[in-house]
Amino acid sequence: MSQSLRPYLTAVRYSLEAALTLTNFSSQEVERHNRPEIEVPNTSAELLLQPMHIARSETEQVLIEPSVNSVRISLMVKQADEIEQILVHKFTMFLEQRAEAFHILRRAPIKGYSISFLITNKHTESMKTGKLVDFIIEFMEEVDKEISEMKLFLNARARFVANEYLGEFVY
Amino acid sequence: MSSQSVSAVFKLVKAPIYSHCFSQDKSLLAVTCKNDCLIYRFTNGSPQLVATLSNHDKTVTAVDISIHGRIVTCSQDRNAYVWEPLSDGTYKPTLVLLRINRAATCVSWAPSGYKFAVGSSARIIAVCYYEQENNWWVSKHIKKPIKSTVGCLSWHSNGVLLASGGTDGYMRIFSGFVKGLDSKDAVAGSPWGDKFPFGALVREFYHGSYIEDVEWRSSIESIGYVSHEGTLNVVDANNNHSQVNAPDGLPFNTLLWINDHEILCAGFSNHPVLFAEATGGWQFAKDLDKPASTDLSAHNTGNNNNNEDLDESEDVSATFGISALRKFKQLDLKGKVSTDVNETAHENTITQLLPYQETNGQVTQASACGLDGKVVIYNI
Amino acid sequence: MSDWRRIDIDAFDPESGRLTSKDIEPPYPSQVTLQELSTKISQLRSLASSGDAKSAVALAVSDPPYSGDESTKNEYFKVVLETLSNVRQADISGIVSGLTPIQQDVLVKYLYKGMSIPEGQKQGGILLAWFERVTQVAGVRPVSHFINDRNTV
Repeated sequence: MSQSLRPYLTAVRYSLEAALTLTNFSSQEVERHNRPEIEVPNTSAELLLQPMHIARSETEQVLIEPSVNSVRISLMVKQADEIEQILVHKFTMFLEQRAEAFHILRRAPIKGYSISFLITNKHTESMKTGKLVDFIIEFMEEVDKEISEMKLFLNARARFVANEYLGEFVY
Repeated sequence: MSSQSVSAVFKLVKAPIYSHCFSQDKSLLAVTCKNDCLIYRFTNGSPQLVATLSNHDKTVTAVDISIHGRIVTCSQDRNAYVWEPLSDGTYKPTLVLLRINRAATCVSWAPSGYKFAVGSSARIIAVCYYEQENNWWVSKHIKKPIKSTVGCLSWHSNGVLLASGGTDGYMRIFSGFVKGLDSKDAVAGSPWGDKFPFGALVREFYHGSYIEDVEWRSSIESIGYVSHEGTLNVVDANNNHSQVNAPDGLPFNTLLWINDHEILCAGFSNHPVLFAEATGGWQFAKDLDKPASTDLSAHNTGNNNNNEDLDESEDVSATFGISALRKFKQLDLKGKVSTDVNETAHENTITQLLPYQETNGQVTQASACGLDGKVVIYNI
Repeated sequence: MSDWRRIDIDAFDPESGRLTSKDIEPPYPSQVTLQELSTKISQLRSLASSGDAKSAVALAVSDPPYSGDESTKNEYFKVVLETLSNVRQADISGIVSGLTPIQQDVLVKYLYKGMSIPEGQKQGGILLAWFERVTQVAGVRPVSHFINDRNTV
């Protein structure tokens, strides 16, 4: 874990704490609907709040988009090389296919990001806000670790395979 | 400390309570629960469910009980009902002709108990009163210049001035004068103007962020309101404006005047906060029911398994070292990092504060409902 | 006319009451131009070069050009970013605690803005260090103010 990770996660934590102040808000556009305002093509600008960008570097960022009754959190997971790109893609796909098990996970990330979460007032009403924040923070820690572990594993495996295969030609 | 300020906790439902209201003699409690409104009767201090008002088919957003015991509920299904108590303990519903086409968000009886106001997402405030000839509740609309959902309403004790706030960032005062119900004497000599035709905009205050709650203090002609950026504001007829920040930085959902110089606020920090008026304006006075330990865990929790804090040379303030040490101890408790032994009485956001007991114009006990399905009585 | 089903008929209703992002901007008495800011910018530069980081930052985050247009804001922001990134890590704490609450709020606005554009993202570490110090002093308050404030920098 590098030195600059702590301020990064602190920033995300504070931003989330401020953003997770949601209310039950019925649509003022569509009758008898109650929908996450951040997700709909919104014609009422006042319902969206200022989006927050938190960037550790150009490749590692979080975008938090708050609105009156929902918050969308998008992570850009660090992808240093092609292998990591593939791994991140596979990994997030795996999670997204099981999105309903994670409650707050979005089926598809928004453009330019690796994975997105959507937290609505339903979630903050049934879960503790502090725990939701903890979950996102922990996810951010774990995903980096997971990817680098997978990469190590992949490399080790590749080396082994190469050894085995090329060993045939060694006399 | 928490045992002193919390008088009683009632865990009522497993759903968020957006609004609650006690009857005049505190024997009945109405709470919103999903699509219903539940009525509890207090016998020997414990609540018993006595009636379920279930005419709504969408989330009930607000409930209020008039001085005559009539219950009004409003819901996101665009309707409001007035429930007349019958002698056998049941309630007879009467539909209110709100004539709005979006959700009703908030409702408030005028002090007289003969009319009430309903705020809505249709950018309308409907002032409703009973029409004898037709035997129903009819409404008159206040439309201009509301630009977004109305989220909160408060009547002046004269029953004419109506303060409102909402997501458009304006706190506005309208006249809710209904001919035949109100007399002009009630507003004679009011510092807010001389003529109050129905629906007239008396005053507006631009704030910017959402107004979460607004409440009149009629005796000193002042209005308190709380906004989504985490501030408490007090304004008066001379446009004096005093603003104070929430100590936790999280917004308040509701406020309650304790007396002319004290306001209780509560919201996303799960416990009420008392503010007092001092010579230099309004100031934070004290926290109610705040566990001592949360201060540390709420802040400086950048991450939960980082012990590198220890070898960071720069800026090792006292709290920092302690928090790092605590992190270190919690390493093996992963997943339970935020477990606080002494919780606040409300475990989730508080949505509404109401006076529970008053003596000589001073609120001594306040009731609060929250998203955790509890109603809590606080001593002040 | 092919996609007439998708026409947003409410948009044609003058009474629809919808608010656009233009409508929710606070009413400004006048618009700040780049010329008016140039004295402040040069003042900032001279303070920064003289090594007085504390006054430079304090000046940078007081009375920001809320009413300016996009290019004015960006021009001013470049100077602010320069000022912020020239401060030594060890000095940040002291400077932040010397700011008034309103100045801290403005500082947070600039930090978020910085992290939203590539120039600032390159300096992500520095901006995050500032951010951490602000939250240590002021908690979540400046962030709450930031997301709700319609005054953008």
